[in-house]
Amino acid sequence: MIQRLKSLNKPLLLVAAVIAVIGSIFIPSITSSYMLRVLNITMISYLCVLSVYVLLGMCGQNSFAQAGLWGVGSYITANVMMKLGFPTLIAFAASTLGTALFAFVLGFAFFRLRQYYFTFASVGLMAILSGLFMNWKEVTGGAMGISDVPDFSIGGFIANTESSMYFVIIIVCVIVSLLMKVLFKSALGRSFMAIRDNEMAANCLGVNSLLTKSIAFAISGALCGAAGALYANLTGYLSYQSFTYQQSTMYLVMIMLGGTVSPVGAIIGTFIISLLQEWVRPLQNYMQLIYGVGIMILMIVQPEGIIGGGKALYERYVNRKQARSDIKQSL
Amino acid sequence: MKDTLTENKPVLTLSKVCKNFGGVVAADNISIEMFGGQTFGLIGPNGAGKTTLLNLITGIYSSDCGQIHLNGKNITKAPTHKRALLGIARTFQHPRLLERCDIQTNIQLGIDLANKRRRKNPQQLQSEITMLLGYAGLKNVNLSDSVEKLSYGQRKMLEIVRSLLSEPAVLLLDEPAAGLNSKEMEYIVALIKVAIEWDIAVLLIEHSMDLVMGICDQITVLNFGHQIASGTPAEIQENQAVIDAYLGGSGHAAC
Repeated sequence: MIQRLKSLNKPLLLVAAVIAVIGSIFIPSITSSYMLRVLNITMISYLCVLSVYVLLGMCGQNSFAQAGLWGVGSYITANVMMKLGFPTLIAFAASTLGTALFAFVLGFAFFRLRQYYFTFASVGLMAILSGLFMNWKEVTGGAMGISDVPDFSIGGFIANTESSMYFVIIIVCVIVSLLMKVLFKSALGRSFMAIRDNEMAANCLGVNSLLTKSIAFAISGALCGAAGALYANLTGYLSYQSFTYQQSTMYLVMIMLGGTVSPVGAIIGTFIISLLQEWVRPLQNYMQLIYGVGIMILMIVQPEGIIGGGKALYERYVNRKQARSDIKQSL
Repeated sequence: MKDTLTENKPVLTLSKVCKNFGGVVAADNISIEMFGGQTFGLIGPNGAGKTTLLNLITGIYSSDCGQIHLNGKNITKAPTHKRALLGIARTFQHPRLLERCDIQTNIQLGIDLANKRRRKNPQQLQSEITMLLGYAGLKNVNLSDSVEKLSYGQRKMLEIVRSLLSEPAVLLLDEPAAGLNSKEMEYIVALIKVAIEWDIAVLLIEHSMDLVMGICDQITVLNFGHQIASGTPAEIQENQAVIDAYLGGSGHAAC
């Protein structure tokens, strides 16, 4: 059945991809610079939500510290570029690998805790990071923050406009999304899912829980680190107020809405919530209430999110069609 | 078929392994030797400590005393995943599959484990998969279907196939036939025979006496954590202590 589903989807997917590519190339020329900024921030959020996808969706481990990791990535880029004077690419690599290493080491300590106790530890980590961001003046600029982070540049190309930055970010997003697909199909990805679905069976199949979970946390750290680097280049100004516990929660809300089963869920969730925030600005005071009630309704009606719900609907449709044709044949 | 040298060297040895839970003795000085290409039966009433022993062998529990050797290597203190890498595979009384993944992914996990030791030849692998799925009565399932679509029996079969594909030295089967119909029982026997052919040492926990007596080379009987008898099926069926504790008068009254 799924094979049929795939063959049906292939040309459709191709058309969708072509439209998406052409559309994304023309978006900067038809939207305002303000809207582009919103889009850029949304795509950066998407990277962070993907980090939740890896950790929660694939490996079954929930973290409230993702915005903290995002902040770590941002501050690494700012410091590497401004204090050490390195070019963007090196700063980007330092943010990605540095945050990954940071997450790996912490993961190696935290994942000695079993079940949901990692989540508790991550809440603590977020609190500590918030405190550090606010008070470590030498590195984070303290409450004043860091301003004038240099623009993203490679060789002669300088992404100093909103639209040039848009292309940089979208390219990173596409590459990362493709890497997610590779991860999903790899032995490492399978060992994540084995831990998510049945940790004891995973152990009996040679999967080292502690190491594998730490690697998942490291990969999620790398994603947040990359997002942080892009964010520092994009806005040029870093404030501890961006990297908060609330932001971590927001990433979770985004993936819950989209669905944890696939990266597509991360895309859908991120875009809906981010754009919703823009469109309903007049209702800003009520946003928290709307999220709260919305999540509760979502969890009751469709715990697998929009993607999960869509999949279930589609399967029901295909099954029904199959059943109908079976009946016709038997007549 | 096999040279006598390997025949004489046990693959898995338990020497005086014990485990207590509080005051309850779950395993009391259990000593077992298992050989490649042989099936070793482990029987006893419910609560006798059979599954506990399996958990001790796989490292899910750590033993309080005694030693466990795999191919001469002391694995008493090794964690579960390391023992799996060294070649201990198991199935569970209630199948533990990746519920949110498709059948292919579940199978692939076993292959991943084998690949960690030595890359498998893809062609040979494909024929092995086809053969095993055939023996397991899973020939007609769609591998890209979710495991949620499988029946209870099919899940148990899939778990054994997954274990066999991991190329283990020892295969531990925890009540593989429980809850299965007679057709599915035949699949189990066919899979165990494949394991024997592959020179794997099979440990079988089972309440179905027909299955145990028919297929096992050696049997150990447990009762309240004690090893009350060991021997060939014929010896066990004659053993008075076993009849009193487990088999009952007829010698064939399963469960």
